[in-house]
Amino acid sequence: MLLMVVSFFNPFAGITGFIAVFFAISLSYFTGLFKPYIKSGIYSYNALIIGIGMGSLFNFNLAFWVLLVIITILSVMLSAIFQNRLGKNGLPFLTLPFVICFWIVLLVTKDFEAINFSFRNIYWLNDVYEIGNQNLVQFVMFMEKIEMPSLLSTFFRALSSLYFQNNIFAGLLIALGILIHSRIVFSLLIVGFFTAYTFNAIVLAYPEGINYYLLGGNFILVSVAIGGFFVIPSRHSYFWAIISVPITFIIAMALGKITGQWKLPVYSMPFCITVLSLMYFFSLKAQKGKIVLTPLQLFSPEKNLYNYLNAKERLLNSNIIRLQLPFIGKWLVSQGYDGTLTHKGDWSKALDFIIVDNELKTYDKFPAQPENFYCFGKPVIAPANGYVQLIEDSVDDNEIGKINQQQNWGNSIVIKHAEGLYTKLSHLRQYSIRVKEGDYVKRGDIIAACGNSGRSPEPHLHFQVQTTPHIGSKTFAYPLSFYISNISGNITVNEFSVPQETELIYNGAPNPTLTNAFDFLPGYNLSVKAEGMEDGKWEVFTDAYNVSYIYCHTTKSMAFFKQTEMAFYFTAYEGEKNTLLYYFYLACYKIYLSTDPEVIATDKFPLQLAKITVIKWLQDFVSPFIIFSRLHYESLNKAVTTDFLNPSITIESKQILQFLSIKKTTNQSVIEINDNQISSFTFQKNNKRIKATCTPKEY
Amino acid sequence: MAKLKYERPIIKKMNAGMMNKFGAQSENTPVTHIDGVSVKSLIEKYGSPVFVLSEQKMRQNYKAAVRAFNTRYPKVQFAWSYKTHYNNAVCNVFHQEGSWAEVVSGFEYRKALGNGVPGSNIIFNGPDKHGDEIRLAIENDSLIHIDHFEELYLLIDICSQLNKKARVAIRVNMDTGIYPMWDRFGFNYENGQAWQALNKIVESGKLLLVGLHSHIGTYMLSTAAYGVAAAKLCDLAVNCKSQLHTQIKYLDLGGGFPSANTLKGAIGLVQTPSVDEFAEVITSTILNYGFKTEELPLLILESGRVLIDDAGYLLGSVLANKKLSDGRKATIMDFGVNIMFTSFWYDHKISPAQEASQFNEETVMYGPLCMNIDIVREAVTLPLLNRGDHVVVHKVGAYNMTQWMQFIAMRPNIVLIDTNSQTHIVRKAETLEYLEQLEVIPEHLQKK
Repeated sequence: MLLMVVSFFNPFAGITGFIAVFFAISLSYFTGLFKPYIKSGIYSYNALIIGIGMGSLFNFNLAFWVLLVIITILSVMLSAIFQNRLGKNGLPFLTLPFVICFWIVLLVTKDFEAINFSFRNIYWLNDVYEIGNQNLVQFVMFMEKIEMPSLLSTFFRALSSLYFQNNIFAGLLIALGILIHSRIVFSLLIVGFFTAYTFNAIVLAYPEGINYYLLGGNFILVSVAIGGFFVIPSRHSYFWAIISVPITFIIAMALGKITGQWKLPVYSMPFCITVLSLMYFFSLKAQKGKIVLTPLQLFSPEKNLYNYLNAKERLLNSNIIRLQLPFIGKWLVSQGYDGTLTHKGDWSKALDFIIVDNELKTYDKFPAQPENFYCFGKPVIAPANGYVQLIEDSVDDNEIGKINQQQNWGNSIVIKHAEGLYTKLSHLRQYSIRVKEGDYVKRGDIIAACGNSGRSPEPHLHFQVQTTPHIGSKTFAYPLSFYISNISGNITVNEFSVPQETELIYNGAPNPTLTNAFDFLPGYNLSVKAEGMEDGKWEVFTDAYNVSYIYCHTTKSMAFFKQTEMAFYFTAYEGEKNTLLYYFYLACYKIYLSTDPEVIATDKFPLQLAKITVIKWLQDFVSPFIIFSRLHYESLNKAVTTDFLNPSITIESKQILQFLSIKKTTNQSVIEINDNQISSFTFQKNNKRIKATCTPKEY
Repeated sequence: MAKLKYERPIIKKMNAGMMNKFGAQSENTPVTHIDGVSVKSLIEKYGSPVFVLSEQKMRQNYKAAVRAFNTRYPKVQFAWSYKTHYNNAVCNVFHQEGSWAEVVSGFEYRKALGNGVPGSNIIFNGPDKHGDEIRLAIENDSLIHIDHFEELYLLIDICSQLNKKARVAIRVNMDTGIYPMWDRFGFNYENGQAWQALNKIVESGKLLLVGLHSHIGTYMLSTAAYGVAAAKLCDLAVNCKSQLHTQIKYLDLGGGFPSANTLKGAIGLVQTPSVDEFAEVITSTILNYGFKTEELPLLILESGRVLIDDAGYLLGSVLANKKLSDGRKATIMDFGVNIMFTSFWYDHKISPAQEASQFNEETVMYGPLCMNIDIVREAVTLPLLNRGDHVVVHKVGAYNMTQWMQFIAMRPNIVLIDTNSQTHIVRKAETLEYLEQLEVIPEHLQKK
C-alpha cells in the first residue's frame, strides 16, 4: 500500500504506468497467453515500469500514446519470449524487456519531433503541490532539509530511485514499507548498500558518490534478489549477496562505457546480468546443498524460508515408497542395523525379528524344536506393493542350534517395489511361500511363514532393503514409514525411522472410522457453518499433479493435504486467514488415523503462521542464520466410545509457540467424529471460540 | 530338633507301574506355596476349604492367548465368557487386559454393564433372552446373537417398537466332524436354516446384521473341527456380501478350547492341543479364504476355561481316613462335589500341601457331604495323609465358582493373589444370614 502511494507521488507516471499495465494485460488475454501467468502479472510488470518511466520523461500528446502502445506490445512480446526461453531453466527474466524497450525508446525519441521531454521531474514540487497542498509541500521540503548523515540520505534517495524519483521522503516510505513487508529484504537492502559503498570507497570508481539509480536499481536490488528472494535465505545466500554487489558494480561500469556512447543509461541491465548469471550458476549445483533456489515463490523471503525449512522437515519423505513391518502383531527386534551377530559389512543394514512373551522367552515349551518357538510359522506379510522378483522355497528348516551355511539365506522372497528398490525376507519356513515369481503382491498380503532355514540357529525373520534383485545382495539403509514401538512401557510412534535392537514394535492398526472421516475423495462436499463466520462450502479437488486440496467456494481459499495409511496432514493453505477452512487447516494439521494406542501426533507449522510480535521480528531478522522459535502442533485422538462398529472419536489439537525453551499454547481445537464423519470442530484462540458444524452434502 | 511327623504303617502291594523318567515312583511333589503365598497361611487366614485365584496366571494366560492369535491375524478380540467365572474381580482382570464380555443371561448382561463394559462390547448369547433384556441390549448397542427363529421375530418386533436397529449375529451350528454335534444351539448350516435366518434378518430391514457366531462344543480336543467351522462361517460371510450385500464385520468362533485338565476316562497321556494350534487352524482358514486384506472380518474368541482353569486352586484339609469294606483306603476331605462340580468331568490333580512321606497309597477321595455321590476322586495316589493335613486341588478356576452349590455346606471364601503376592477376598464365605436373607416365612409358620 505504502509503495503504491509512493508511485503516485508522480501522478502522471502513475497514470501511464496503470494504462500500460491495463493494455498489456488485455493484449495478453487477446493473444491467448497462458492465463495463470497473466494473472500472476508476469507479462505486465515490465509494461508497468515502462509506463512509469515514459510518463515521467515525456509530455503527453498523441505521439506519446501511440509510442506507449507500441512499446507495450513489444514488452509483452519480449516478456513472453524470455519467459519461454529462460523459464525452461527455471530462471526469471527480471526487467530485461524493460531495459531493451526503454533503450529503444530513448534512441528513437531523439528523432521523433512530436515527442518532447517533460520537465516535470525537475519541477516535481509542482506536482506535489497539485496532489497535496501547501502543507504537503512544506512537509516534503522539511524532509529534504533535515540534517541527516549523508550515508542515510543517500540510502533513502537510492531507494526512491526504484520508482524513478529522487527524494528522501519517498525513500523513507519505501524503507518503511519494506520493513513491514519483510525483515530479511530490509536487512539485505542495508547489506547491498554498504557493500556498494565500501567497494566504491576501495576502488574509488565514483569519487563524488555513486549515482542513486545505480545504487538503488542495481546494487541494492541485486543483494535482495540473490540474498533472499530468488534464493532461500541462509548464511550462504548472504555471502553471495555480498559478492554479487561488486560483480554488478563492475558490470555496470563496463556496460556504462558502452551504452554511454549512445547516451543511454544502463538502467537495471547490470542487475539482470548478475542475477541471471548467478542463478544459472547455482542451478548447475556448483553449491549443492548450500544454495537453494526458491522452489515456490511466495514473494516474501520469510515465507520462502519458513516454508522451505518446514517442508524439508515434514515432507522430505512424503514421496518415497512406504514400507511397513513385514509381520502381524508385536515382535521384538533381535538384531538391528550394524548388529553384533551377523549384520556386518555389506549386509549390516538389516533387521531380525522374533516374538517374545512377557518374560522375554522366545518359546513356551520343551523340547527345543522350531515348532515350539513363538515366531515359527507366523505369517510374513508384504511390506509394500510390488512384484515378486525371486523366491527360494525348498531349504529345510534347521534343528534348533544348527545352521545351514551352504544355503546361507534359507528360504527367501525378494520383492521389487520400484526400480532399484527391493526388499528381501529370509529364513522362511520350508514350502511356506504362497506367491510365485512375477506375482503382484499388495501391502499387507500374507506371502509366507516365519521359519528357521539357512543360517538361522533359531527361528527368526530377516528383513532387508536392497538396490539389486538378488538373494545375497548387499543391504541398503532405508527407513520404515510408520511403526509403534514399546520400550519398557513407553509407547511412541515412529515415522521414517529404523527400529533399534530390543525394541518391541508393531504396525499400528488404522481406525476405520478415522480413515473414513478423513478420506477426502475428489468431489466430496462439506457444508460448514459457524456463528459469526461466513459459511464454508468445501469441495475436494485433485489437480493435474495429483495434489489434493479442499477448496472453499465462498471464501476462495484452498487447503492442500496428503493422506497415507496411518496419517492425514495438511501441506499448505492459501487464502484469507479468517476463514473456517483456515481454522480447520490449523486444527487438523496432522492427524494419526489410529486410536490404538492413544499417542500424540506432533508436527511443526511454518513460522510465518506465528503472530507478529517483537520476538517474531527479531526471529525474521536472524532467520537466515538461526532459528530460535518454533511453532509446534500436537494432536491426540481419544476414543469416546469403544464401539467398534461406530466409535465416537474426539481429536484434541493445539498450536504451541516455542521461544528458546519457553512454550505457550496459542490456540486449541477439538474435532468431533461421529457416524464415521467429522461432525464438528471447535477452534479456540484467546477468548475467541468458533464452533463449526460440518454436514456432508449428498448429490 | 523338631518332633518327627507321625507316619502310620501301611502294607503295599508290589506294583512296578508305568515307568516314568524318575523310575516307578509317582510324582507327588508337595505344593506348599501359590504365587509366593504359603498354603498354610492361606488356610489359617481364610479357612478351609478356600478357593485361591492367581491374578498373575490369568494375565499370563490372556496375553499368551492374544499373542497366539494376533501374531497370526490382524484383527482379534477376546470376549470374557461370564458363565465360566463371573466374579467381578475376575471379570475385571480380563476387562483390564482388553477383553469384551460374553454373557448368556440377563443377570450376566447387567453384571457386565456394572463392570463398566460399554454396551457395544457385550455379546449377548444364549437361547433364553427375555424381552426386557433384549430391549436393554438393543438400547446399549450390544451384539445380540440370535439362537432361534422365535427370538428373531421377537427382535424384529422390539426393534419396530423402539425404532432402532439392533446389531445382530446368528449362531450357526454345523457338522464339523465331531461327536456330539451341538446342533441344538443356533441355526443349522447344512440344512439351510442359517442362510434362511440371514435372509430374514436382512429382509426385515429392522436389524443390522454384523456378525456370524459358532460355538462347536466344549473341551474340544480336535483343532480340525475349528477349521471346518471357520470355513463354513467364511462361506456364509462371502454369501452375505455377494447375495445379501451385507458385509459381515466379525466372525465369532466361540470358545471351547481345553485346559490341561484330565478328562475322566482318558487313557494314558492325552495331549490337549494348545491355544496356538487352534489359532493356527482358525486364522489360516480365514486368511486363506480370499477376503481382501482391508475387508478381513474381526475375529472374536469367547474363551473362558483355557484362560482361567489353571489359575484356580482349591485348598482343603483332611477330615478322616478309613478303610472300606473291600480293603481300599478312603480319605474324607472338607470339600466335595458341592463346591467342586468339575470333579464329575475331570480327574483333578491333587497335591499334598506339606512335606510328606515318599510312600504313596491309592485312596478314594470323598467329600464331606452325607450323600453317596460326593466323590472327589475315585482313585488317587497320594502320600499318607493325616487329619488336618492340607491338599491343593489344581485347575479348578473354570466353572466351579459359577456352578457350585450351597448344599449341606456353605460356599467358602474366594481369595485372589494379586501380581504383588498380596491376598484379597473377592467373595466372602457364605453365612447363615446370607442364606436366610431371601427366605420368607408365612405368618402362620413363624415362631410365636
